[in-house]
Amino acid sequence: MRLVYAIVLVTALTAIVVEHLNSPSGARPVSPEDFAGACAPCGAPCPSVQKK
Amino acid sequence: MSVAATPSAAAARVPHLDWPFLIASSLALAVLVALVVIDGQPAAAALLILGFALGAVFLKAEFSFTASWRRLIVRGQADGFLGGLLLIAIAAAAIVPVAALVPGFGGAIAPIGPSLIIGAFVFGIGMQLANGCGSGTLYTVGGGSGRMLLTLAFFIAGSVIGSLHLPAFLRLGGIDPVLVANYFGPWGGLAATWASLAVAALIGIAVAKRRGASIAPSPRIVFGAIAIGLLCIAVFAAGHHPWSVTFGFTVWGAKIATLFGADFSQAEFWQWAGPKRALGDSILSDTSSLTDLGMILGAMAAAAASAPFARNPWPPLKSLLAAAVGGLLMGWGARLGFGCNIGAFIGGVASGSLHGWVWFLAALPGCMIGIKLRPLFGLSRE
Repeated sequence: MRLVYAIVLVTALTAIVVEHLNSPSGARPVSPEDFAGACAPCGAPCPSVQKK
Repeated sequence: MSVAATPSAAAARVPHLDWPFLIASSLALAVLVALVVIDGQPAAAALLILGFALGAVFLKAEFSFTASWRRLIVRGQADGFLGGLLLIAIAAAAIVPVAALVPGFGGAIAPIGPSLIIGAFVFGIGMQLANGCGSGTLYTVGGGSGRMLLTLAFFIAGSVIGSLHLPAFLRLGGIDPVLVANYFGPWGGLAATWASLAVAALIGIAVAKRRGASIAPSPRIVFGAIAIGLLCIAVFAAGHHPWSVTFGFTVWGAKIATLFGADFSQAEFWQWAGPKRALGDSILSDTSSLTDLGMILGAMAAAAASAPFARNPWPPLKSLLAAAVGGLLMGWGARLGFGCNIGAFIGGVASGSLHGWVWFLAALPGCMIGIKLRPLFGLSRE
């Protein structure tokens, strides 16, 4: 199990670093709730908006 | 008369540090913090470090929503449940008024309808089969449980599937979020939130008394509730929204799927502004991913600081199957139900949002079914 953990840790960290260096990032971390019209932590719209 | 400690007793008191994993987890945190600091994101660094602290506290306090709910259902034991309510009461003290009064801050809100109820119910089944909820999965993965690695993988897969189904479930209807602060103001809203927690605590105590079970939380649970409650406030201060876990899993899963050729450009969920931005940006720009990663590393450091890391053998196949099924159900349920115990229940109630209590009332019967199903997978009901 230790070997599995070592492999997962190294692979995940490498993937995160590569992904970060190849992706845009803003001035501060954001949550989907930061965006206009978000009605839930995942950014889903409100039912009243969906009905329109 | 004092007795000198024997060499073996002295050796037993020395913590069994697992240096390779202690160094690896600390180094990994340092790398991630360095990346976001170089990008000029101190708030992201704070979220990583707070996640690290959460992972360590959860592991050391063995704070488990899944086990405490199971104890409440099976034995009527209310200690862990009351600890969870204390945690929420502490977090609410900052979240309800600040979300209402300070521009840029917001609570965890969600619409109330079939999607929330179905999602929470399915999540409840999954958390008992997996033996851990969102936060539980993170800190046990970090703590060296290979079984929970499997749960995490299926949790991620389930949440991506859930993201594809959520828009259809939202079309079933529902009402807009109900926030107590909108009706009673920031301080009245806080009073109403605390009153709702007090009612829940009284019900928990009544259940325990009727079944002759224990009520008083142990010092470990009280310490965990206070520490995690304060860390929730710190996460709220850094991220401007209450702590959430499962959206990060959805983003990770979608990014992995994209690597293998999946196209989300026609998926309604991934066209909403928040998810679309998260899919395109670095995962170190997403608040829930930051605390999730920190939490895994924090639990790993805490586990490696006290015992040899990940030395347990793999569990039986049936148990692994339960871990996979539970993870899949939790992932799907979390997306439809707007989060897990942390994002929906803790975050929702601590924000004074009615959906938090609706989530709890829907997840509880799911837990009861999950507990009944546990023996099928060779797991005990307790």
